[in-house]
Amino acid sequence: MENSLFSKPRELFLDIVNPRDYVQIDSVSHMYQSLKSSVQKPLKMILLYGRPGTGKSMLLHKLHHDLSKHQKVLMVSTPIVDEDDFLRVLAQNIFGHAPREVMTLNRFLEISSALSLSSIPIVLLDEAQLYSPALMEKIRLISDARAIKFVITLHKTDQEDIIAKEHFQTRIWESIELQNATAEELKIYVQKKLLKSNCFDVANMFNDKNMKLIATLTKGNYRDTNKLLFSLFSLYCWYEENNPTLIKYNAIKPKWIEMAAIHTGLIHA
Amino acid sequence: MLDIKKLERRWLKYKLKSYAPYFIVLIVIITSLIGSLIWLNTKKPIQPPIMTNKLNIPPKNTTQKTPMPLNDQNTTVLEPSMEFVQSFQNTPIQEDASKSPAVLSKKPVHTQSLPSTPKTLNMPEYTSPPIIPTAVKSTNRDGSLSINRNNENKLDINDLQSRFKETSNANLGLFIARYYYDHGNYDEAYNYALKTNNINNRIDESWILFAKSLVKLGRTDQAKKTLQLYITQSNSETARGLLDAIERGNFK
Repeated sequence: MENSLFSKPRELFLDIVNPRDYVQIDSVSHMYQSLKSSVQKPLKMILLYGRPGTGKSMLLHKLHHDLSKHQKVLMVSTPIVDEDDFLRVLAQNIFGHAPREVMTLNRFLEISSALSLSSIPIVLLDEAQLYSPALMEKIRLISDARAIKFVITLHKTDQEDIIAKEHFQTRIWESIELQNATAEELKIYVQKKLLKSNCFDVANMFNDKNMKLIATLTKGNYRDTNKLLFSLFSLYCWYEENNPTLIKYNAIKPKWIEMAAIHTGLIHA
Repeated sequence: MLDIKKLERRWLKYKLKSYAPYFIVLIVIITSLIGSLIWLNTKKPIQPPIMTNKLNIPPKNTTQKTPMPLNDQNTTVLEPSMEFVQSFQNTPIQEDASKSPAVLSKKPVHTQSLPSTPKTLNMPEYTSPPIIPTAVKSTNRDGSLSINRNNENKLDINDLQSRFKETSNANLGLFIARYYYDHGNYDEAYNYALKTNNINNRIDESWILFAKSLVKLGRTDQAKKTLQLYITQSNSETARGLLDAIERGNFK
């Protein structure tokens, strides 16, 4: 099973956010460049938003990976919902200060003003929709005081337009919206990912028809695409071991794509 | 862990479900057709004797029902006045259209069907209005400009080419050949298919791409010879199919 032609491609599509797996697609690359240039501007807050699976977390991790070489950057992947904990983590990781007493906003601002850093440190907050309005207000005050520059990611939902919320509307200086991938972009994403790992023969198996079907099933969602392809290659591994005559090495079987979609819940059957 | 048997059953169920609406529509159409045919067949014997409708249409298009005596079966016998048809035949339609357009366009008031006349009207041939080319707007609904960046969304083909130079991987060569063929660059498709064949001469698709590129480059004879040689060596069905298509002129 481990020597299977499809075991390596399967591992490639494990749904893990790793900046080394970042695949450069022109539209995303354009977004990333504008995000990078926004970080260099004297902005207080930068908002990165979009529907789930549009690559927000990946971009944020990539930004962290690239910026941390040159300046102080803190990545908060999992939201810290407790206010005291949040300020304490920030003070400790950015200013290297771990007070024993309860950390208040005033105390935090005192610490930051006491330290004269050459550049404003950057904090990257993923899944910021999980933070309470009270904590978001404190984040706003910290950014207003220019103690820290925040880059936050948010889910855009149909129910509520987060951008319309007051504390974002007035304080965000730059917002970048990420879109779902088109069939063409998804094809490039899949093929680049496979080619990057020298899986040429498997990359050859994907044709336009396959990619159209995958894009229809996943609606251009990168996370769903990863899940679908992981299941698809798991299927191929199984067939390679148990029924290899069924495998056609010149194209991916649409039936198996649909079966993988059923397995991942993209098709309700 | 994947339960393939269960997954295949679920897939079959999904396929049946997805085709069900088409089946239903097809069944409805067939049954309605059959129903209407049966209805027409059963209707025929009950139908009363065919009425001979006689319309007396005055030249100024005022249709008037002429009172006719009823026959024994209480059916109206109308006699059509063919004067208006004769008037069409006597005068060219182009001239007549401007003078009495109402005769042509107005439908008869009577609900009875007119007896079919063997004469046909010589109407001028319909010529479709000239299509006025419209400028393609690049503005969106909200008025914002959308810029198409044609150089985007391409694989780093140069990168792949340099990797091919380093690795001489036949699969990568095939990938590049296919990429160029899909993008209409048949020279490069030919080159890479040739290189791939030199590395591994057992890849069916590479030979096919090679022959196809030759045809696209106008070297059909060379493509045929190549395919014939390859068929004798490999007995490939795909190659044979392509050769047939080229010979029949289906693939150009």
